[in-house]
Amino acid sequence: MRTALFLLVAAFVPGQALAANQVALDNNVFVERVSTDAAGKQRILLEEPKVVVPGDRLVFVLNYRNAGAQPADKFVITNPLPAAVRFADAGDARSLVSVDGGKQWGLLSDLTVPMTDGTRRAAQPADVTHIRWAFQKPIPVGGTGKLMFRGVVK
Amino acid sequence: MTSKLTYMGVIGLTALSSVAATPAFAAGTTAGTTITNTATVDYQVGGVAQGQQSASNNFTVDRKINLLVEEVGTVTTNAVPGQTNAVTTFQLTNSSNEALDFALVASQIVGGTAAHGGTDTFDANNVRIYRDNIATGTIGSWDAGDALVTYIDELVTDTAIRLFVVADMPAGLANNAVAGVTLRATAREGALVGTQGAAITETTGANTAGKDTVFADTAGVTGDIARDASHSDNDDYTVQTATLAVTKTSRVISDPFNNITNPKLIPGAVVEYCIAVANSGSADATSVLINDPVPGQLTFNAGTILLNGTVTAGTCNADGAAGGSYAAPNVSGTIAAVAAGATRTLIFRATVN
Repeated sequence: MRTALFLLVAAFVPGQALAANQVALDNNVFVERVSTDAAGKQRILLEEPKVVVPGDRLVFVLNYRNAGAQPADKFVITNPLPAAVRFADAGDARSLVSVDGGKQWGLLSDLTVPMTDGTRRAAQPADVTHIRWAFQKPIPVGGTGKLMFRGVVK
Repeated sequence: MTSKLTYMGVIGLTALSSVAATPAFAAGTTAGTTITNTATVDYQVGGVAQGQQSASNNFTVDRKINLLVEEVGTVTTNAVPGQTNAVTTFQLTNSSNEALDFALVASQIVGGTAAHGGTDTFDANNVRIYRDNIATGTIGSWDAGDALVTYIDELVTDTAIRLFVVADMPAGLANNAVAGVTLRATAREGALVGTQGAAITETTGANTAGKDTVFADTAGVTGDIARDASHSDNDDYTVQTATLAVTKTSRVISDPFNNITNPKLIPGAVVEYCIAVANSGSADATSVLINDPVPGQLTFNAGTILLNGTVTAGTCNADGAAGGSYAAPNVSGTIAAVAAGATRTLIFRATVN
């Protein structure tokens, strides 16, 4: 059932209008460029991902909207990291992450990663495989919001 | 708005002003790879789970051209005048995110300061480039199994190879003379095995949806700017040769009347000659042949030749080992080696006629 209802919204075209559905989600990616002006002041620009090479910093932006007629409850957004992207940080420190492919979830500071010698070390941003936002309160009708996280092209 | 997370997302974006240092990635994701990011939403309405929503975007990783040419060892290569096949060592690393060919050029520095100090004063001859064969011979050193090359074919990403610039030294060079050489590698299109690919051009102007090309190399030696798809480094040869100076001294050992007490140079007196060879160069002089004709007024005393003796403060120590030969009128002997900075002697005695 779940598979049958699976829909791609705004697929492949950043910035495409949200589709008419109960809940609309769109997913954008930008490249974060730092330029230094003549006065030596650094400016950060978010560009469309046209020229992207390894080492570039990416900003992923998720926009959601409750386009339905009733509040949406137990609202959870899950984003697996693409294999070629290393997680850097999320704008929201309280987002949940997984470092084991989505089995266990928690704050990055609470998670650990097994070592080859049987011990566990604290998880690092590079260990993150998934990021998730679980909303405590329902999204009201017409409610919108924006989530973001940053990664680096491997 | 009931969602506090909405508002935190905005805070997250404003926090972009804190820029972390760019992490070091060597080659990274292969050029042309499509990165797709998909987010999904699960939610309920009126306590009933609704269909999962998802949203994706994708983009293509472009081609980053980056390479590094580094001299290995950061020491000059010592060479002697007339030496063939003097070897300097370099390393070429493909830090691009695609396998590429690399055109190679070894050139001479003209004047100026060489890589390891000293002024470039001469040009080496017959400058060639070899690629280290890591399957046979001495790996990491130049040997017969290494291939003479003008370009490197299909060097995969994140891979370093060792290259040798091999040259012949002209004869008659002074000690410490320096010849600088530069090895420059330029990225060329890969994908055609066995053939040097075409020159690579950087994508200018509007980006295309596909794989674009960005030059990311740093500046090399003087004249090799950053972001030109090439990189270079210098190394040099320093001539290390022996510089010999010969001095000859004599002293009276005895005469027939005073014997060894204040002897005078009268007929019948015994004279000791010391021929000292001093090496002020930087290399050992080997097989040093000394030849000295005995003056006609003297008669050589057989069995008095001492070889490989030493000198202290300019005075012969009259030491050494028996050796040498006499074939009238010449006294001769060969000293196996006079080390750099050392002085060795040949001593013999003769009687005044």
